[in-house]
This record gives sequence, structure tokens and C-alpha cells, in this order.
Amino acid sequence: MTATADAPTVPVEEWVRSFTDASDNDPEIQAHGKYFTCTYLLDMTDHHFVVRMVSGRVAELAVDPGPLDVGYQFLIRAGVDTWRGFGTAIPPPMFHGIWAATFRRDMKLEGDVLVLMQNLRCITRQIELLRSVGVPV
Amino acid sequence: MPRISPVTGHYVTVDVDDVQYKVFYLENGTGQPLVCQHTAGCHNHQWRGLLEDEEITSNHRVIAYDLPRHGKSDPPENEEWWKEEYRLTADHYTKFIVALCDELDLEQPIFMGSSFGGNVALQLALRYPDRFRAVIPVEGADYSPGFYLDWWQHPHANAAQVCASGVWDLMAPQSPEADRWKTWFYYTQGSEAFKGDLYFYSVDHDLRGKLDQIDGDRCPVVMLTGSYDYLTTPEDGRRTASKIKNAEFIEMENIGHFPMSENHELFRRYLLEALDTIGSRAATAQA
Repeated sequence: MTATADAPTVPVEEWVRSFTDASDNDPEIQAHGKYFTCTYLLDMTDHHFVVRMVSGRVAELAVDPGPLDVGYQFLIRAGVDTWRGFGTAIPPPMFHGIWAATFRRDMKLEGDVLVLMQNLRCITRQIELLRSVGVPV
Repeated sequence: MPRISPVTGHYVTVDVDDVQYKVFYLENGTGQPLVCQHTAGCHNHQWRGLLEDEEITSNHRVIAYDLPRHGKSDPPENEEWWKEEYRLTADHYTKFIVALCDELDLEQPIFMGSSFGGNVALQLALRYPDRFRAVIPVEGADYSPGFYLDWWQHPHANAAQVCASGVWDLMAPQSPEADRWKTWFYYTQGSEAFKGDLYFYSVDHDLRGKLDQIDGDRCPVVMLTGSYDYLTTPEDGRRTASKIKNAEFIEMENIGHFPMSENHELFRRYLLEALDTIGSRAATAQA
């Protein structure tokens, strides 16, 4: 299944800005993210990003860092088509969350998954922000 | 006038094997009993919309119970349950449901359950086909592996949030946000039972190769599955129904794994279709 052939690809620099703004201004993350402190890799195949969260705010968002440039605790990896499904206002079935896409598509959750579980509520919300922000792939 | 709901709550004592439970249930309506099982790690408020749905309660006695260890139904009254790990089995689960129906003196109830309740509906049709007018397995399948996970009770993570946010994706993005958050909230309350429930859901429940032993004429089976369910997909439901004699399958568009709780207004349309199908079957059988 192709998620959304017509979903526009957001330029990388613009995406970094809008994702950061959306997260830092999201009422839910700001209400519940006091301890949302972790670093994770978003691997979107054509681009990858390391998101460093400190107390619910985006402290750093590294774009396509080199192999050993920036450390991270866990990663969320999937192909371009899967991420494009996440980047639509109403994602089709199986593109609507990291559990769904991990069970039914090509998404992988790797590394220290315990850290993901410790921050699951805020990560879930942050990934859902892609529905309004779009994806840079 | 005080705004009091017609839904009432009661406790009933139920004996299953050597175990005694004090079971809480909500009910409303009169007529054909419709017994409703919530999903794993949750409780009967998932059926809040159905319990106040006048079109259905006008001719159905809707009974939504809390399985022991869930909601207001305590763990066993006569066992030191805290000294062993809770792992629900198909055998005990089905015996409990039949014992509850007996205790309430229900004649030929329709049984409906979602997720692990959908799977046990299939088990009831296999084991006790003459005890139920019909079963409605919602989000069920012959086999549903992959959810008996240690994460639900990992001591280094917030189990309430792992359970609640771990099932968040099981709901459709189209479902009303307030109802999805109510469902999320219920899931923060049941982490201790969730994993043990999922032993049944993902391990002990396995009807692969046995579906041809379910007789959909003796006990009609109408399966409902939402398009956003990633655990038991519509394909799983369709495959399961196709192997049961005269079973029906209805795919529910734009809804997920907790249809009665995440979007009752949409779910009810499919439920009415299922109840119509069961009514037609009963009429044909009597003719």
C-alpha cells in the first residue's frame, strides 16, 4: 500500500523549525513533559535526525549527523513510504502510530527500548505532531 | 430534577472451580440479555455508550461486567492470589462467563466481547454452543500473538503510562479525541491485570486448526473488526470467520480495537447490523 502519493515533502530546514516549534508549543507535551529527557534517532531513510529532549523541550535536533557524531539512546527507523503515511492529517491504517507500524509495516524500534517506554506518552504525542508538521522525506 | 442515569450497578458472588469472586456489573434495559466483556487490562466503562443507548436497551438487557481483578471486581475472595503470577487461561475464563450467566439466571444470552473478549467469544462458541443465543466477537481472531510483553509491568518504567500509551495506536485517529482519552485513562488503571490477561490473548488462546469445530448454526457467530486494529486486522477477522460454519464477518471502517469505547456512535451502526443478523437467524431457525 502506498500511504499518500500526494503528500508534499517538507524541506529539511523548514521541517526542523516547524517540528521544534510544534513540540515546544504543544500543550500536551508541555503539561506532561517535565521529565521528558532523552535522545533518540529518527531514521527516515533519506534523512536521519537525532532529537535531544530536555525537560520536555527540544534542546537540539541534529540533521544527518555522521556515524559517531551524536549519541542517542534508542531509534525509530522506517522507510520513506511509511513516514509519508505518518505525515498526513489522517494517516491510513497502520501508518497511525509507532506500535501499529512496527507490528504491520517496516518500522523498527531499536536500542535502549526501556528509555522509549519511560517516555512513551510524550514520544507518542511527538510523533503524532508529524500529522500537522509533515515529513521531510 | 437530578440527572441520574438509568444504568445501575450491582455485585454478585460467582463460584468458578474452587475460586470465589465478587463481581461488579452495570446493567440497563430489558429483553434479550446482551452480556458484554471489556478488553484486557480495562473495565466495563468501555461500554458506557451502549449502556445508555436507548435503541438497544429498549429490547436488550445490556450487562457489562468487570472481570475479576478489573475495575470494581476484586481478585479471588478465598485465595492468596498475591502469591502467584496472574495468568488467565481459556478454560477458567470461559467457565467464569458461564458461571456468571448462571448466577444471574440469564436465559440464552448473546455474548459480546472485544479483543481478549472477542477471542473468548470464539472459545465460548466452541465450548458452550448451547448456552448462548449467539456470540459477537469484536476485534477477535483464531490466534493473536505478540502482546504478552514484559513491558506492561517493567519496574523501571511507569506501567500506567506504558499500558495506556502502548494501546493508544489501537484506536483510529478519526475517533473522538475525548473518547480516546477516556479509554487511555481507563488503561492507566489496569496494568497489574493487563499482562495476565494477555497470557490468554496471545498465548493460551489458539484456535488455529480448530475453527471447523465451531458450529455457527448452533451458536451463530458475527465477527466485527475495525480497520485501524493492528493486532487483529480485518484480514485476520475475515480469515477466522471464513473457517467457521456459517459465521459472518463485518469490517468496520475508520475505527480501531476499542470500538465501543473510542467511538460508540460509529460502532453502534455495525452492532445493530450484527444484532439484525442474529435476529434473522433466530427467525429462520424457528420457521
